[in-house]
Parts: sequence; structure tokens; C-alpha cells
Amino acid sequence: MNKLLSVDRMTKRFGDRSVLRDVSFTVQPGEVVGLIGPNGAGKTTLFECLAGLIPANGGSVKYVDQILPPWQRKDILFYLPDAIVPWAEQRVSWAVRFFERLYHASASALIEPLRLREIMKSRIASLSKGELKRTLLALSLMTPHPLLLLDEPFDGLDLRQTRDVMGLLKQHTTQGRTLMLSIHQLIDAGRVCDRLVLLNDGSVVGEGTIPELQAKAGVASGGVEEIFLALT
Amino acid sequence: MPSHEVWRTQHRINLSTQKYRPEFVLLAKEWRELLASRSFWLLLLMIGPLVGHAFITAVTLYSEASGIGGGPAALAQGLTPLDGLVSPTFGAYDLAATFLFPFVAIRMIAAEKQNGGLKLLLQLPGTLAEKVSAKALILLAAWFATLLPGLISIALWKFYVGHLHGPETANVLFGHLLRTMLSAAVAVAAAAMLENASSAAIVTLGFTVGTWALEYVASFRGGFLQQLAAYTPSSALRNFEQGLLRLNTTIVMMAIIVAGFVLAGLWLPTGRTWRFRLVSTAVVMLILAGIVYGANTVSASWDVSENRRNSFSYSDEAALRQINQPLKITVVLAPEDPRLADFERDILRKLKRTLPKIQVVYGAASVSGLFEKSEDHYGEIWYEMNGQKIMERSAIEQVVLETIYKLARVSPPAKSDEAPFPGYPLAIRPRAAAWIFYAAWPFVIVFVWWLIRRR
Repeated sequence: MNKLLSVDRMTKRFGDRSVLRDVSFTVQPGEVVGLIGPNGAGKTTLFECLAGLIPANGGSVKYVDQILPPWQRKDILFYLPDAIVPWAEQRVSWAVRFFERLYHASASALIEPLRLREIMKSRIASLSKGELKRTLLALSLMTPHPLLLLDEPFDGLDLRQTRDVMGLLKQHTTQGRTLMLSIHQLIDAGRVCDRLVLLNDGSVVGEGTIPELQAKAGVASGGVEEIFLALT
Repeated sequence: MPSHEVWRTQHRINLSTQKYRPEFVLLAKEWRELLASRSFWLLLLMIGPLVGHAFITAVTLYSEASGIGGGPAALAQGLTPLDGLVSPTFGAYDLAATFLFPFVAIRMIAAEKQNGGLKLLLQLPGTLAEKVSAKALILLAAWFATLLPGLISIALWKFYVGHLHGPETANVLFGHLLRTMLSAAVAVAAAAMLENASSAAIVTLGFTVGTWALEYVASFRGGFLQQLAAYTPSSALRNFEQGLLRLNTTIVMMAIIVAGFVLAGLWLPTGRTWRFRLVSTAVVMLILAGIVYGANTVSASWDVSENRRNSFSYSDEAALRQINQPLKITVVLAPEDPRLADFERDILRKLKRTLPKIQVVYGAASVSGLFEKSEDHYGEIWYEMNGQKIMERSAIEQVVLETIYKLARVSPPAKSDEAPFPGYPLAIRPRAAAWIFYAAWPFVIVFVWWLIRRR
């Protein structure tokens, strides 16, 4: 099968500290890939290197079969960072309209599943963590990019909202879009992701579907937690 | 077709059929962000009373000089609206450009860096140049908004039947536009280069204080420093306030403005390496230094003042233009000697605009001139042309011109029959100004802010 994205030996250092060490993995078209790892594993740094928002010290990124330099990444992938409050003084309705105009898109299919109607008139700075997350997810889903990198997309969402968002993301993949999610809640990762990339201390310790990872970890049964503990 | 290709085909943005072009959407976004910025509204709130105070003071002094209340009027020829009204009223904008406007510019960059919006902005459609240009254009629009009290003061002056000379007034406005955008460019570059808004504010104010220090040091060192100090924002603005439009000053100010926004464009993308940023910054600074150096050789200027204060009489100008030989002037006056300042303002500035080849050498050995001895030739001004030298101590225009005509063997022109500048005395009280600037303006600004805030 064609690879949509191939990351090869990506490294990143902050001073003397190595945050990413020869990270390599692939992403297939139309799948949901989970980037799993504890806090400080390097998930956000990896996403920001992939999006070209911070310079990597080494490694390459290929889109299908072409090298994708950092300055071209914004044409192919859209990265939604975690813990940002962009355009804090504006209302949600403005942000939605801004993205609609910018991308010639419509938010109508996202308003109900993400429950945006009741917060449309609120200022972004006044949103709760979950409301902000839903708003930002709506913005990212309005973009036309074939690959979305979503950093902690379920952080701040309650159980019901998490389930609804998972459904929405899955629906987008059925239309041909590919998603890569950074998740530290291993249970959520097991529920939504087709394949997982396990990152620990800046290195990939495993990549594959849950059965493949179970086999690699030597655990006959058990969820992502057991696999992760066995591999790290 | 692979699934991701299906997605791309279905969702490809066709710019030609798009209703909203990204650059206009980004421009609208920046405008919206400006209106959401409290620093902008505070600037608007303060600029009204600031300009109003300057205007009321200027009108009062102008009226006193014009003999209001029965006192003796000053010589009518000395009463020019440029000196008496336009420059002092718009002087308030110099204060705003130094201490208020930079914070609006810094906020435009620093807020997005702080709240993470920059990470999204960098990924949005449109080139980086378009994104930085959008910010620059909105800052320009912000300046035009702050200009409103100044325009009201001009309207009031006309309402008082005051005289204004269009070109010199427009020249002052142009000078303030360049001066404010220069401050904004420095602030935007600092905000892009530094991590937080407070550091950017310190650097921006440091730049301004640095230019003041340069002017101070240059005033008694002379030479290259003096040439450089002619391009500081305050010095450059003084030219415009004197009704002089100098091409080299305009070029240098515009180059600094462009360089500031280019530097912002180089430092904003977080994905660039330090090496790239430092090397490209050095290249920009080198180009800027080259432009400043090259601008020194440009002497074109236009005297747009109504009383032609930067020019000799038409007949003297015609006579001087016949002189093609180089003129060397050696001035043995210390930089702090007020006679040198008078000589610079009344003679040298006009000569440099008229004579194609002129070299000025400053020959004093000390800074103050207080302890110079007579054998040091202190106070002498030497004129040298065609191998001949003449010494004169006078800095009176007629004496200097006669000396130059003698050296160049050019007949002095017949006495000019040009009509002298009449002057425009106006004894009037600044009616309604206090109400407009101190009451109505703040009320309107707060009301409009409240209306916009409700949107």
C-alpha cells in the first residue's frame, strides 16, 4: 500500500538535550494513527517538527514519494497545537467564519457534533477547556489538508464529547482524510486509532496495529497500557 | 484514485473561483484584531487630549504673538502657521509615535506569539510576505485613525479663518507618517525577534533613547556621527517641520521601515534555524547600511515652505547655480557654539541645496569653544574656491553670498523685487477646542469602543 507520509530518522535537540532520536514511522492514507507516549516523550516536539514550526536537527519527511521540505508542509498537513488560545478577544462565530472564508469551507456539518451553537457568541478567551478544544477541532476540520496532526484532541472533553469527537474523526477518515493524533490517554488511543506509534523518551519503541504490537511486546492479550509497559 | 487524492480533489481550494481571497481575509482578520486591542483604544483615547492640548496652547501663543488683548503684535512676517500652529499641534504625534504607538505594534505580534495564534497563522494560506504586509497595512490604518484629532484641529483652525499653506502642511503630515511607521517597524521587528512583549517594549524604547544619545554625542563630535544623526527620527522630523522635503531623509526612513518589517518576516516563522535568522538579519542590516551610505550622496530636496525659509532669493539662487567650481568652507566654530547652529540653519542648509559642489570642514579643536585662543583662528569662516581663500567672521546671508560671488567672479544679482512673505497674524481664542478634545473625543472613543466590543 502507498505510504502517505514517511518520517525518516528525525532528530531534535534543545541544547545538549536530545528530545527526538532518529524517529522513523509511516502513515497510510485514510487511517487514524495514534502517537502514544507519556508526558515529555516528545510528541508535541515531533508534531511541531513535522509541521515545520520548529527546525529539526536531522531527518526527512516524505509525502507519498516526494521529499517534503519544512516550508511546503503547510500545503499538505495542518497541525492543531494543544493549549493555545488564539484570537482570544474574538468570538467563536468570528473564528468559524474566518476559517470558512479562508478555506472556502462550511462549518455547518461540524456545529451539531461539536456542540458549537451554544458557544458561538462567546469570546474565545472565556471558553472552558472543553469548549475551546471543540472550537479548535472545528477549525482544523474545516481545513482542506489531506493530513491533520491533532495534539491531544480529547484533552478537556467529557466522556460523551470524546465519543462524539471520535465518531466525527472516523467519519472524516472515511472520506479519505488521514489523521495523526497525539494522545496520552492510552484507553482513548486504543478506541479510536487504527495504528499506533509508541514514543518513549524521544525514540519510537513500537509501531503497528494493536495485534502487531501485542506480538512485538510478547503479551498475548491486553490493551495499549500493557503493550506500552512491556515495550518501555 | 487513492483515498487521499480523492480528498485533495474534493477539497482543493480554487483561488480563481474563491469568493474571498486569502490576503483580504487576513487583512480583515488583522483589522479585527486591532479593534480588539485595548492598547489601540487607549492610544485613541489619549491622542485626542494630547493633540487638543498642543493645539489650544499653539493657538493661544499664536494669538498672543498676533496681539490679542491689545498687546503689541510681533512682526507679522514672523507669524507663520507652520511654526505657530501645524508643527506644535502635530508635535503631539511625535510623543505618540515614541511612547504609545509602538505598544500597538508590539501587541499585534506579541499577542499571537503568546497565545499560540502564531502557530496557526503560519499554517494559514498566504505567503509570509502577505501576512506581514497585512500587519503593516493595518498599522498604517491605525495611524490614519489616530490622525483624526489632528485633522479636527486643522478644520478648527480653518473655521477660525486661519491661514494654511497646503504643501507645507502635507509635508509635516508626511514626516509624521514616516516617523510613526518607523517606530512601528522597529517595534514589530523587536516583537518578532524577542520572546515577550515586555522585552520588545524595552528594546523599542531603547532604540529611541539610543537615537537621542546619538544626536547628543553627534552635536559635539560632528563628522560621520553628525551625518548619521541627521537620520534619527527626531532630526528627520525637524526637516519636515521646517518645510523641507529631503530625498535622502525620505529614502533612509522608508528603508528603515521596510527593513523592520522584513526582519519581522525573517524572525516570525518559528521553523527557521538561528543560523538562517542571524545570517539573513546581517544581510538586511548590510543592505540598510548601504542605503544609508548611498543616501548621503543624494542632495535633492524641495523647499515646500510658504516663506521659502530653506532657500535663497530666486535671483541669488540663479546666480549661485552659475557657479560650477567646488567651494570649500572651513568653519572654526565649536559644535556647542550657537553661532554654528545659526550658520548651519541660515547659510549652510541653503547653500547645500543650491551649490552642486560644496565641502564643509569643521575646524574647531574643542567642543564648547569657550577656551579657544585667538591663534587657533576661532570664530573664523574660510571660503576657498579657484585656489583663492577669503576669511569672514560674519554669518549674515548677504555678507556670505557676496564673499562667494567675489571668489567665483560672478556678478551679484540685482536687488530682488520679490514680494516679502506677508506673515499671517491671527488673534483668536481657541473656541470649542477644549470641549471637542477634552470631552467629546474621549466620550466618542469610549462609546465606539463599547459598540464594537458588543459585536
